Amino acid sequence: MPPGFFNHLLLISLFELKRAFATRRGLLSLITFAVVWSFILLYPLRFAAELLAQEKSLKQDFGFLDFIGLWSIHNWPIPEFGVFWQVALMIFPIVSITLAADQTCSDRERGTLRFIVLRSSRDRVFFGRFAGVMLIQALLITAAAFSTFALALYRDATLFSSAWPDLLALIVNLILVVLPFTALMATLSAQVKSARQATLWAILIWTFLAGLINGFAYYLPALAFLKLLIPGYQLTELTQLSGWQTLQLAYIPLLQSFILLAFGRWIMARQAL
Amino acid sequence: MKSPIIQCQQLSHAYVGKVALSNVTFELDAGEPVGLVGPNGAGKTTLLNILSGFLRPTSGQVRLFGHSPGAVPLNGKVSALPQDARLDPSFTVTEQLVFYARLQGMARQQAMLEAGRVLDAFALKEVAHEKPPVLSHGMAKRVAIAQALIGLPALVLLDEPTAGLDPVNVRTVRAVIAELTSTTTFIISSHDLAELDRLCQQVLLLENGRLQIETIREDEQPAASRFITLQMEPCPALDLMASLKALDGVVQVTNPQKNEFIVEYNPGVQLNMDQLLMQVIHSHHWHYRQLSHGKTLEEKLFFKG
Repeated sequence: MPPGFFNHLLLISLFELKRAFATRRGLLSLITFAVVWSFILLYPLRFAAELLAQEKSLKQDFGFLDFIGLWSIHNWPIPEFGVFWQVALMIFPIVSITLAADQTCSDRERGTLRFIVLRSSRDRVFFGRFAGVMLIQALLITAAAFSTFALALYRDATLFSSAWPDLLALIVNLILVVLPFTALMATLSAQVKSARQATLWAILIWTFLAGLINGFAYYLPALAFLKLLIPGYQLTELTQLSGWQTLQLAYIPLLQSFILLAFGRWIMARQAL
Repeated sequence: MKSPIIQCQQLSHAYVGKVALSNVTFELDAGEPVGLVGPNGAGKTTLLNILSGFLRPTSGQVRLFGHSPGAVPLNGKVSALPQDARLDPSFTVTEQLVFYARLQGMARQQAMLEAGRVLDAFALKEVAHEKPPVLSHGMAKRVAIAQALIGLPALVLLDEPTAGLDPVNVRTVRAVIAELTSTTTFIISSHDLAELDRLCQQVLLLENGRLQIETIREDEQPAASRFITLQMEPCPALDLMASLKALDGVVQVTNPQKNEFIVEYNPGVQLNMDQLLMQVIHSHHWHYRQLSHGKTLEEKLFFKG
């Protein structure tokens, strides 16, 4: 009796996890991410959070962060989380496009995918790889959020008990944010020949799709709903929200991911391996 | 009732502007290895890719054990050596074979044992913990054949299994195939006709995308004429042909290539033609290398006449 769908999903995604954490290439990517993130954490994030904490303690009506348009950071009770939220909303979609670019393309070009589909269906490989990359990103997001939590505790250890709900909200939301970007890369990866091509196409599609839909919506406001198709469309609105309010827009990345994955699965099923 | 393991109905495939397969229809039962031959570009790899589920045919139907290629119930039952496919360079050979065995439903411990078994069969134990980029072409090829045998599948499709291997390893591959023929049906695509002649009872000949089935062994039924292929040490070809033609029962003697002669004879007139030929060779102090009944596969398939 062949193993079931979820058994294969687990095996394939765990193999991707092994690729990220136990191979030289994967470790190199992780170290690069860790170095860049430490820099962001120790300089811009720490300084902005300290500035915010000072503004709060001085009860200033209008501070530097309001001046640069980041007034919504004040909605977060812990300043570090407010700054983390703004930074993460910019950084993680970019990380996602880079990290998730090679879900199936280089394996297909090399022929390795043939060895795998002899033992598993194309659907299982497609969704297993997607689940694996999501798992890796979820771990990176969790690690980054916990490092920010540690920074906040270093400033004020009394935050330990009150910070957990916001920490969880941040992690869940960021996972939802990267979901459609990862789905877009899964779809592109099923079609193109290399990770580089997938990244280039993602940037082109994202830019042109956003430009085109915004153009249509400007002249025909009835078409404004098409903006829902642009991955990251909700990011601007998300920056204005805090805590569990951020889940109000969760339906957008979920809907986008569903559409993109359905399209990617369709490509994968027809693609010559 | 025994049902065929492969059923192809009106199978066609076209790449942009080029027909690779045209209305291929055939059925194969489980049994002895089957050869798949044809000139370059005849559609052999396309046919194997369709059977393996790597490629969707443009039209027509394919069923393996009653299922479409790539269907989940074929997991572990059908395997293949795809042409030019390489393993993932990031993981060791064992890590990948264990992963494949686990996808076939084996527990971790069993998968480790199975990976060891197939690597051992091809004398690859010493590279088990190496990564693919350090393997030579021959080693990588043997690893790719080894992965096809994980879990003893019922049908194995091998695309050019011995191309690029040294004679010792060709023999190993041949021995492994011969050992498994009682449980596994092999379809072997190859240009090495001598190899197929040794291993296969039946050959599928693809030419310009069209297929015909040939039986290799000489028919036991009485025939109007039979053939003997004679490979000689250097000798005067014209004298030899004249001497053979003079024998009672010989219909025709041809010399398709240097030192190779095909004798067509009437078995009704002379049943023991082989003995007669050897007497002639001996009496002229010539020396032969090989005498075999029937035509070579090459003659049969590509130089009919």
